[in-house]
Amino acid sequence: MEPKLEQTFVQQIKDNQNLIHKVCRIYTSCLDDHNDLFQEITIQLWKAYPQFRGDSKFTTWAYRVALNTAITLFRKKKRDINTIEINNDIHNIDFAEYNYEEEEQLKIMYKAIHQLGDIEKALVFMYLEDKDYKEISETLGISEVNARVKMNRVKTKLKQIINP
Amino acid sequence: MEGLDLLKKDWQKERNFPKVTESEIYSMLHKKSSSIVKWILIISVLEIAFWIGLNILLSDEKQKEMVNLYHLEKFMQISTIVHWTVLAVFVFLFYRNFKNISNTSSTKSLMSSILNVRKIVQYYVWYNVVVTFLIFIIVWVSMLLYDENINQVLQKANDSGTEIGIWFGVGLSMLVLALLMCGILWLFYRIIYGILLRRLYKNYKELEKIEL
Repeated sequence: MEPKLEQTFVQQIKDNQNLIHKVCRIYTSCLDDHNDLFQEITIQLWKAYPQFRGDSKFTTWAYRVALNTAITLFRKKKRDINTIEINNDIHNIDFAEYNYEEEEQLKIMYKAIHQLGDIEKALVFMYLEDKDYKEISETLGISEVNARVKMNRVKTKLKQIINP
Repeated sequence: MEGLDLLKKDWQKERNFPKVTESEIYSMLHKKSSSIVKWILIISVLEIAFWIGLNILLSDEKQKEMVNLYHLEKFMQISTIVHWTVLAVFVFLFYRNFKNISNTSSTKSLMSSILNVRKIVQYYVWYNVVVTFLIFIIVWVSMLLYDENINQVLQKANDSGTEIGIWFGVGLSMLVLALLMCGILWLFYRIIYGILLRRLYKNYKELEKIEL
């Protein structure tokens, strides 16, 4: 493929890498998996890039590919039990704004999310990203009404995991 | 819900993810994908190649002699044409379905297009199993009709009244053969696709359940 296209693509990935990191944050729980998934999403985005026409925003387009990769295409490698927990590595907060109680609660929340199924994780991700139900339903390929119903169920499920 | 609101607030903060540099992204583009689609392609091509290879291997001189001996020339001609036509149709369908897999479609249609490709290959394999079994039966029947040695044995059995036993043996061995073939294939699919597609099936079912 053209070097210019490659250059534009790399720049776009670099500028929007937080989006990919966030998907990895939801779907993986150790640094090695995080990096593997990041790489696979980048490869998948690059594969689909020639079809990206630019009539939609790069991020909107990338969300879908990233989620599809995390849910369907990515194959997690088998790893030894000794893996580095990612939670604290990338969850650095400035000392001044550190709130112990909130921090603990967030940790519990992330742990609970990791216990959800892949589709449920996608719903939580899109909720956190403030996506509307139209986009959620189009991304997953389900109706808006059912997306709404499922979202409420996932929220209830999270609640149950946190306060059994 | 307090927890989720807190999480959302925290989520939308710019956080300190490890920064991936341009050169790292460049090198990622040239790495190989390890997606399940690639694995499915490899396994499917191997499966189709296996059956083609088996056909070629089995069509040697000895087989030609056997065909002549058992008067199966016409049958072989027709079945060869049918067989290669069916193969061409399957390869075409496989290619078309494989091309339909797009990582930019919705999650549900991506999953169903992957499962469709699998279905095509699975149909091809079952087609081959059925055809192989049918050919076995036809060869057996022709052997009983035209093979002189076997006819002699049958004649003897007929004289001594044990003919039924022989037919029973033939039927039983065919049944065992069919079961064995199905068993091996079933095991093969359980292992290969169980590992590869378990997660996909589970997620697909969940998406379907949402729509119920």
